[in-house]
Amino acid sequence: MATLSFTGMLRRSLVHRRARSLSALIAMTVSAGVATALLTLYADLDAKLHKEFRSFGANIVITAPANASLLPDALAHAQQAAGTDALAAEFAYAVATTDTGTPVVVAGTDFAAVKRLDSWWQVDAWPDPAVANAALLGQRAAQFVGNEHSVALTYAGRTVTLQGAGRIKTGGDEDSRIYIPLAAFTAWTGVGPSVIELQVPGGTARVEAAMAKLQKDLPGVQVQPVRQLVEGESKIVDRTHALMYGAVLLIALTVAVSVLATLSASVLERRRDFALMKALGGSQAHLMGMFLLEALVLALAGVAVGFVVGSAAAWAISEGNFHTATLPHLSVLPLVLLLNVAIAALAALLPVRVLRGLQPAALLKGE
Amino acid sequence: MFFRLLMESFLRQRRRKLLAGIAILLGTTAVTAMLALATTIGDRVHKELAVYGANIIVYPKADLLDVKVGGVDVKPASGGAYLKESDLAKLKTIFWANNITGISPELPITMTMIADGGVERQVNATGFWFDHQLGNETTRTGASQLHPTWKLVGRWPEDSSEVVIGSLLAHALGKKPGDVVYLTLANAPPNTHARVAEGPILRVVGVADTASPLDNQLLLPLATAQQINNTPDAISRVEISARTKPEDAFARKNPDSLSPKDHEIWYCRPYANSIAYQIREAMPGAQAEQVRRVEQSEGNVLKRISGLMWLISAAALLAAGFAVSAAMATAILERRGEIGLMRSLGASKGAIAFLFYTETGLLAVLSGSLGYLAGSGLAAWLGARIFHGDGGAPESVLIPVLLPVVVALALVVAVAGSTPSIRAALRMEPSAILREDA
Repeated sequence: MATLSFTGMLRRSLVHRRARSLSALIAMTVSAGVATALLTLYADLDAKLHKEFRSFGANIVITAPANASLLPDALAHAQQAAGTDALAAEFAYAVATTDTGTPVVVAGTDFAAVKRLDSWWQVDAWPDPAVANAALLGQRAAQFVGNEHSVALTYAGRTVTLQGAGRIKTGGDEDSRIYIPLAAFTAWTGVGPSVIELQVPGGTARVEAAMAKLQKDLPGVQVQPVRQLVEGESKIVDRTHALMYGAVLLIALTVAVSVLATLSASVLERRRDFALMKALGGSQAHLMGMFLLEALVLALAGVAVGFVVGSAAAWAISEGNFHTATLPHLSVLPLVLLLNVAIAALAALLPVRVLRGLQPAALLKGE
Repeated sequence: MFFRLLMESFLRQRRRKLLAGIAILLGTTAVTAMLALATTIGDRVHKELAVYGANIIVYPKADLLDVKVGGVDVKPASGGAYLKESDLAKLKTIFWANNITGISPELPITMTMIADGGVERQVNATGFWFDHQLGNETTRTGASQLHPTWKLVGRWPEDSSEVVIGSLLAHALGKKPGDVVYLTLANAPPNTHARVAEGPILRVVGVADTASPLDNQLLLPLATAQQINNTPDAISRVEISARTKPEDAFARKNPDSLSPKDHEIWYCRPYANSIAYQIREAMPGAQAEQVRRVEQSEGNVLKRISGLMWLISAAALLAAGFAVSAAMATAILERRGEIGLMRSLGASKGAIAFLFYTETGLLAVLSGSLGYLAGSGLAAWLGARIFHGDGGAPESVLIPVLLPVVVALALVVAVAGSTPSIRAALRMEPSAILREDA
């Protein structure tokens, strides 16, 4: 009997004061939505930022001992040690002479791998993989060859003619080099790859773990981090992370306090209901339970709607800024739920002191 | 009468005013802090990204090709072309001079030192600026400023006879800070007493771990390197760190093919390409290029982080706006009784609306201004805490432009939030309101 009237009263209260219930529901939805959106973004932030840092290229360089080449299976070993999501490219170097008699560094590599690893290379036309003797000319090196489309190079008395496909511009050492496919390079010079550049995604810990594994798997070679990349990345990711944390706390606090103010005002406004119920014989605990339950129902509804809206907002922000989607994280739901329930409970319980002091008779008489 | 009503309302309904005021205060605090951080994030992240080194590189146009593998010169070029050190002062006269935050000229040389037992030994050395004052600028610049990841035991050279030694070379020679390095007198014939005894003496003041081929070299003051190499005023490469605008499609255009008007616009934007173009104009015989690995990737990271901050600020604005207008709506709704009473006493709808809007406006301006101050303080505190140890002085985040913006936003949101409640209350019959409340 008591339960029946309890739910009945609850339903009546929610339905009868529709405008008020709706505004409370909207307030709860906003708080849940904002919390969901920020927490979802926050959960994905590190992965997203680390992904952006991949554009800086290799963060580990593996070098063969002086005047030696790496073993043929070194690249496979390195790839295996660094994980499948790491990018790797091997390079072989030799100093050849151009047809104008200028010494130039010629590098043999796999263009497909380099294109993925070194996204900052500005190349006007990547060579066709079908052309075995295609060459990319550094923009400075290009000034020292006679004919850019048919480049004649001499190494240890052997001359090859390469088909220049385009120029590279990087502002670094690459500008003074000529890049050709590794197979053509080895066939011409007999020199094998001596350097593997490796891009391991993730922070310092992952890079260090990969380095330790590489050192064990590839004895005798030098494994070195590109120090400024590794240090810079973790510093910036940490700071952005902290910034985001501050922002999340700040916004959550603002919304929580405003929602609290709105809800507790609407509870206070119902002093007369409170007085009437008390006059009809309701106990203090009973009435508080009533208010609390009402607030909790609103809070739960708010979480249900807010989670959907917030996840959509996080998806939109992420798509707009990072060009990759952030999927809804179910793991943030408990935290959002906790936050909303806490706000609702506080909003219902804060006015208790005021309500307890009231005399039902005085209030009903309008004094 | 009007002012008395207004004053009494603020004096007597302190709890209600406080609640609405706190909502506005918090909202403006959050929005101010986020906007202040978002507008300064570019500079802060640029400072952090300085660890990646120079983003513009200058070398002599007439230079031969670098024959370098892994940063080591395989065939050191002899008689290469040089730039003039004295021309570097011109960098401070270009249009974007203030965006140039660091300049580090280099002069690589080979010299002969006398190792233990009188054996002559060729070593590579590079001349650098260390903590150099350029022109009458107060900021100091040089190799160590452009390479914050270099680790140094000891200190950088302060006068021309001091030298820092690379960590691998230090290990090979057994040198440590406090030791001296004897050089041969370059123009004396071999195996003479003068060659050994009268050469320059350099004092080691530090050991540098640079994680680069410099670890096998000596790092000299530029003037000393020029003197030993007998090439006064010569430098062969300059690294420049500049604050740039991330590259867009317009930045990639060839400036010489643009119309004069577009050329002007291109020239007056701080793209790495336009700064490089201006450097080429200022320094005769120089070729300036953006270091794409640094510049492109930095632009990318910068764009993402500031984009994120702006979007979060927008979300903060939206959430705060919503919360404040909800709080205002409740605050007015609570006072329906008052409105009913005033109307039954003969006040016109216009007069009541005016009174309520004035109250709202006053509250918004007061709390908004306070919120602006609190938010600025919060942004400064957060910024200092998160980006501590940049070496720079703590920046003031009091951005005056934000004050009118934030107060206007608070005003708009508060008025918009209270309007439906005021209108609803005015539409109701006064007697109905009063009876309901009685």
